Amino acid sequence: MGFKIVPRYGKSLKDKLYLPALFGGMKTTMSHFLKNLSDTSNIKTECYPEMQPTDITSRYRGVHRLTHRDDDSVRCVACFMCATACPAECIFIEATQREDNVDEKMPKKFSIDLLECVFCGGCVEACPCDAIRMDTGIFTFVAQKREDFVLNKEQLLANKEGN
Amino acid sequence: MAIITVDGREINVKDDALLIDELLANDVSVPHFCYHPALGKDGNCRMCMVEIEGQKRPQIACDTPVKDGMIIRTQSENIARVKRQMLELELVNHPIDCPICDQAGECSLQNFYMEAGLYDSRVDIAKNKKQKHVDLGANVILDQERCVLCTRCVRFTSNITKTHELGVVVRNDHSFISTFPGIKLSNPYAMNVIDLCPVGALTSKDFRFTQRVWFLKPQEAICDGCSRGCSLLVDHNREKYKDDLIYRYRPKHNDAVNGYFICDYGRLNYKKENDNRLKFAYIRGMESEFEYATLKLERLLKRYNSKALLLISPTLSLEEIYRLKKLSQKLDLDINSFDENFDESFGDDMLRQNDKTPNRRAIELQGIESSKEDLQKKLKDKDFVLLINRADVDMIKDLGYDGSIGVLSSSDFLHKDKLDIIIPVASHTQRDGTFINCDDFIQYSKCQIKRDIESIKILDLVEGILNDGVSTCEAVWDSGLKEENFLKDINFNDVRFNSIKIELK
Repeated sequence: MGFKIVPRYGKSLKDKLYLPALFGGMKTTMSHFLKNLSDTSNIKTECYPEMQPTDITSRYRGVHRLTHRDDDSVRCVACFMCATACPAECIFIEATQREDNVDEKMPKKFSIDLLECVFCGGCVEACPCDAIRMDTGIFTFVAQKREDFVLNKEQLLANKEGN
Repeated sequence: MAIITVDGREINVKDDALLIDELLANDVSVPHFCYHPALGKDGNCRMCMVEIEGQKRPQIACDTPVKDGMIIRTQSENIARVKRQMLELELVNHPIDCPICDQAGECSLQNFYMEAGLYDSRVDIAKNKKQKHVDLGANVILDQERCVLCTRCVRFTSNITKTHELGVVVRNDHSFISTFPGIKLSNPYAMNVIDLCPVGALTSKDFRFTQRVWFLKPQEAICDGCSRGCSLLVDHNREKYKDDLIYRYRPKHNDAVNGYFICDYGRLNYKKENDNRLKFAYIRGMESEFEYATLKLERLLKRYNSKALLLISPTLSLEEIYRLKKLSQKLDLDINSFDENFDESFGDDMLRQNDKTPNRRAIELQGIESSKEDLQKKLKDKDFVLLINRADVDMIKDLGYDGSIGVLSSSDFLHKDKLDIIIPVASHTQRDGTFINCDDFIQYSKCQIKRDIESIKILDLVEGILNDGVSTCEAVWDSGLKEENFLKDINFNDVRFNSIKIELK
């Protein structure tokens, strides 16, 4: 292992005293504080959750959803491309025979563990059928128990396209 | 010997061999559908085209005998164009439903397209529609749209099994594979057509949609379905948060024993490794701690000594039999291996044998008594019988024995509460070992899958009692097994990789 010597800056007396830099920082803080105090209507901070963000774009990767065919049935054919691409290995699929002559294969179970998911969007890229998307616009997901963070097939199908 | 030049590289080949065999043996990539070493040439797919100097047009490698001094080109511009055109024709009516196709990942069509195709589709007319999932029988499902009509399956049923169930019907691009009306595919080797099929036209009903093939990890093993001992590839996978399960067996090419095929019984025999497993140790019908049960067994054997009998099974490996024999000598236990797992209707003249155990020959060669009369005689003065790798408790009760019984078994069985001690042991694919087949070939089964269910290898169990540090197969060979008469000229390291015939003097 080699060492990298990082030169130490701030050798002057002013730097060594620390206090001028400290007061310089306080000056910036106080100027913002006074500016906001004098005009509270102009503060950039949003009072979440009463106020919801309005600047979420359609490309934002939120909670996943499974898309539907024109006849409203599940579009996914359980090809496991998403599960193969997933770096967090958080997609759990069980395939089964599809009996309604629309296609041959469909997922019997399809669940995503949102606690393990890193929201990389790899599954959306990998899907050859456009069956999984992350365009629900749900940027925060709340649940009481760990188990509730595992979304099953029905929950994923019920998720709608957001904004 | 002849010398041919392939893409500028000189290779030595056998005289009169088929060009494709020699090319494939020397790792030259030759795409092919219809040719298969076990089925011979057919020359219908035209994929294996190579350029031979002195010949006007490209020739198919599968129907060209090698000649000394031949100059072959497999990578020229012209050949690449020919291969691409052949693929384009194959794919005109292919449904390209790879996402739902079980063959995806091990499909010749996919591989050759990535290797030699990579063109943009020029087909703008509708594809021919055919039947998508026809149940042919014998666990085989046919997708007529995916078929490339290589006729490997047809030739398998006509040349190898001679049952003639399959044929090609209708002409041109409407032709498809089918059985005769009202007749199903049914022969004991039928599922081999699934492996033979280079594309996803013939897939297994048993494996259908259970796993994508790229998740599976193959391990080599020897089939324990009968005394033939075919070479297998065990495809297993541990899904996240789940146990390691076996999803299918495939034949492994082994010219000495089974060639390219295995029977359907052996192929579906993987289920016993997954299902109906013994999960806990029991002492007098009560679930017990594992460690406690193994110590209890040791105490029982040491207490009963000559009043105890080890009833071993011919499903044990050579090493396990040797070690158990040693254990019986050390503790002065009696040993017998009577087992009547024969099925007169099972054997045939291809691979299957009437003896449905993999290692009866090893018991014979080690001189362990296996007659019923001997067992009856020995049972008379016994107070404890330990069944090893078997659970046929009723059999010894029928012979009039009513003392205490212990069982070491990998699969679950009924009426456990009547027995003194039960310990789950590693199943066939959970431990390695060598097996001697009906033709005296000694073979090593390498597969050791780690399962979550608690079990102990018999070698470890015996080591725990003898306490001599010999618990791997190699150590067993070194500890004296290699001195056995029938193994004199055989080296364990050779057995590891090859099937070796035992020479008996």
